[in-house]
Amino acid sequence: MFWRILKKDLKRKRTMNIILLLFIILCSMFASSSLNNIAAVTGGLDRYFDLAGVPDIMITINGESDTEEKLREMPSVKEIKKENLLSLPSSKNFTYKGKKLENFINPAALLADDEVAVRCFDKDNILIEDVPGGCFYSTRPFVQNIDISEGDYVDVNVGDTSVKLKYMGIFKDAVLYTDNASLPWLLIDRSDYERLSKEQETHDLDTTKLYLKTDDPDSVRELAAGHDNVYITERSEFKQIYLYDMFAAYIMMAVSIILMITAFVVLRFTIGFTISEEFREIGVMKAVGVSNISIRSLYIVKYLAIAVIGAAAGFFASIPLSSMMLDTVSKNIVLSGSSGTMTGLLSTAGVVIAIMLFCFLCTRSVNKLSPIDAVRNGQTGERFRKKSLLHLGRSKLPATGFLSVNDVTSAPKRFSIITVVFTLCLLMMTLMSMFALTLQSENLRRLFLIPASEAHIMDADMMMDYLGDNDTEEKLTELEKTLSDNGMPGKCTITLTKNFDVNHGDKKLKCLCAVTSGHTDEILRVDEGSAPRRDDEIAVTESTMKELGVGIGDRISFEYGGREQEFIITGRFSAFITSGIYLNKNYRPENESFGGCMGIQVHFDGSPDKETIGKNIEKLKDILDTTKIYTTSEYVKTMTDMSDVLTAIKHMMMILTVIVTGMIVILMERSFISKEKSEIALMKAMGISSGSIIGQHTLRFVIVALAACAAGFALQMPVGNLLMNMVCRFIGDVEGIVCDVDIFEVFVVCPLILIGVTAIGAFLTALYTRTISAADAASIE
Amino acid sequence: MNAVLQAKGLCKTYIVNKRQNNVLKNVDLTVDEGEMLAIMGPSGSGKSTLLYCVSGMDRATSGNVVFNGRDTTKLRERELARLRLEEMGFIFQQMYMMKNLSVLDNIILPAVKSKKNKESRRQTEERGRALMHRLGIADVGGNDINEVSGGQLQRACICRSMINSPKMIFADEPTGALNRASSDEVMNELLSLNRDGTTVMCVTHDPKVAAKCSRVLYLVDGGIVGEKDMGHYEEGGRTLRDRERELNNWLMEQGW
Repeated sequence: MFWRILKKDLKRKRTMNIILLLFIILCSMFASSSLNNIAAVTGGLDRYFDLAGVPDIMITINGESDTEEKLREMPSVKEIKKENLLSLPSSKNFTYKGKKLENFINPAALLADDEVAVRCFDKDNILIEDVPGGCFYSTRPFVQNIDISEGDYVDVNVGDTSVKLKYMGIFKDAVLYTDNASLPWLLIDRSDYERLSKEQETHDLDTTKLYLKTDDPDSVRELAAGHDNVYITERSEFKQIYLYDMFAAYIMMAVSIILMITAFVVLRFTIGFTISEEFREIGVMKAVGVSNISIRSLYIVKYLAIAVIGAAAGFFASIPLSSMMLDTVSKNIVLSGSSGTMTGLLSTAGVVIAIMLFCFLCTRSVNKLSPIDAVRNGQTGERFRKKSLLHLGRSKLPATGFLSVNDVTSAPKRFSIITVVFTLCLLMMTLMSMFALTLQSENLRRLFLIPASEAHIMDADMMMDYLGDNDTEEKLTELEKTLSDNGMPGKCTITLTKNFDVNHGDKKLKCLCAVTSGHTDEILRVDEGSAPRRDDEIAVTESTMKELGVGIGDRISFEYGGREQEFIITGRFSAFITSGIYLNKNYRPENESFGGCMGIQVHFDGSPDKETIGKNIEKLKDILDTTKIYTTSEYVKTMTDMSDVLTAIKHMMMILTVIVTGMIVILMERSFISKEKSEIALMKAMGISSGSIIGQHTLRFVIVALAACAAGFALQMPVGNLLMNMVCRFIGDVEGIVCDVDIFEVFVVCPLILIGVTAIGAFLTALYTRTISAADAASIE
Repeated sequence: MNAVLQAKGLCKTYIVNKRQNNVLKNVDLTVDEGEMLAIMGPSGSGKSTLLYCVSGMDRATSGNVVFNGRDTTKLRERELARLRLEEMGFIFQQMYMMKNLSVLDNIILPAVKSKKNKESRRQTEERGRALMHRLGIADVGGNDINEVSGGQLQRACICRSMINSPKMIFADEPTGALNRASSDEVMNELLSLNRDGTTVMCVTHDPKVAAKCSRVLYLVDGGIVGEKDMGHYEEGGRTLRDRERELNNWLMEQGW
């Protein structure tokens, strides 16, 4: 009998069962892909490093050195791999479509495929084992800002040699800095490498890289410290270069979590809704004496069957979804889905368990209800709570509008849940828009520790000049004179950086030290305390404070300007660095050279408008003979290199939102029609037209979408700022970031997408009410 | 008397499991203005189907229906809906009402939807209240539909059917779900409406209900097999008991 009832139920309530199945597929799909994404992102970098075979230490040798021989003699060094790099000084050594390239700043490095020490992967995360002759792969900086496609040819011209190479796509190398601002790398065949290496110019930089496996890094560090031209990078330091990539990955993780919550909220609602449909049958079964356990088992078995089928289908659908989502954020990292199958299966099992739990909770009321309560809660329309809050007689709304509003207010729980789901969908779009805009916002300038400026000179040659010499101030004054002579007076600054071993008591910490040289009245903005104003004062980041166990007023020391100096901590600042320190402005001893800088900043006098800034930048490009001068927003965008990725995620979110919202609206509306069949038939019998009924059904979803927009508007700034600051803390010690908002996109485009999809989805589904005729009023159960 | 409803050669066929089921077979029917007509017959004889086909709630397979001078079989769905809204009233066995509306709002909904109605919302509400008062349910207007008895709900359904002052009321077993007392009250209201000039067509199993009607049709297997003119209730000095006895005798002859 049990199976007969079950079989009959599955057949008779086919529509609702199919709707439930579709929701379970949706939920399982999102849960599986979301968990897979979370698993891929969490610890993803370590897995990538293992996959690529990243060594314990990488040693870069510029010029002649006996370091290699010494390392080979060290017993603690287990393995050494060596890469000899060729270099091409400028982007102008490359010709594409008859034009010399001007799209990257730094010299390009060439690597032979048979000498690769760290495993490289193509854009599809497939291991590159061999590069065919006459072909090349490149890192992203090489192809940025040029419209190159796979199969296109690039001429490499150096000295008297010219080699035509076919572009095979980008490659990912775990230890090569693949940010836009970094060195472009080309992976080529040995034969092409040999042809180019004949030109002396390719050996000018004379760089060798050694990759070591060792259990005694201290002795390697000691060895490197004795050489001026030997630089050491440890495995932990490589992680720093992926901070911005991980930023996008964490954003994706946050989005995945929102998706998963959405899926479970919808599922919980649907199960509750479908079980409420069964109350009449439950009442009848109770009335004829079927035990509570038997009734509950009937539904639990039914839902288990649907859940297993739906979850399995959802698992398979999650594979392409997860891969699509991860591809968006893993342009530089192989975020492997290798654990995806296991994670997917676990999450699928999780979905089944969650459904059973929901079902168990929803059927709990079977125990409490008397047979007649159950029957009255069913489709007869009788119930025990007053629902109508509005009165048609007193309302100014047209009848259709009134009925829609009344439906929404009469079922607040049902429509609130849909509002929550829609709000989450809207937030996914608007937050991505805000994040993408913020990551190219001038407001982030302070987090790169640069003072107020409108133009940023990123020309590698110019920057190198400022790094090495101690006459930075003179050069900046000279640059200011050039500006003034050309009718665009301004002040110039440069923020230099270098790593120092900072001490406090017996604690040591490698910190990135920044100092701004040049002419600016701006002082560092601190979150706590005050900015350094004397040469023995210093500001530090939160991580530095924590790692060294220091606070404002404490003293720290490090070797600066050739002697151990002590600094008093005066403040705490935010920046896109973790362990950071910031020195008093212009405090740069003569004998201290710096390894990096944040570009050369120009602050034009007289607060020029955007148009003038643009013209000044163009003029400056001509004067300095470089194309690498950016506005602040372009500068932030280049430095974070995440804006485009987040824009891609935003577009993906828009598509996903359209799909999710559309599906939810269609399935919800279809289930509402199924539940409200009697009322629809009655309305038709009374003479209310199909158009009016369709309008009513569409309008109530539009009302919910409008409510979701209102909730979204109220939540997006606090939630956006909270998430942005949370995610940015993965990159550096930052706080107080306020997201930028594209008012048109956030307040017009995104809400219109939500409302549009909702209205269209509800309207098309509500057309189904036309199949219900007035005569059905006579055959309502 | 003018005929308000005329049906000719009305057929209705359902196909169930590839089997043809002829529910109505060439039914001819005329209902005069001011008449109170009862349709009786055994279960499955096609009474309700006849009611739905002539009222435009369902489409007949063939034949035509003229209501108030308009051939409803040729009307489009939208026109038919408007006709039902403004010129017809319906009462069902089950007291179907919109769950999310109060009793009064359910009653005035057809008036609010009607384009013919030029009253303000307040005037419509007043009219709804007046109808409720007339049917003795004035005090339940603000109640939710689960807060009133079956009899009160059915009277509310009558109010709803009357709100647009229809030419004709179609009632499908209006007392089928009520006890005797409530059933009598509902029938008295229908009689009162009929006295005021509204034509009523009523499907019933109950001879007590049919005895209050002016004419009774007897349907068997989709065809009208008998017709009895009962005269208007309270006319001719006959008591309800007499009318009921007379009707029962006739029904016996029909094979009831």
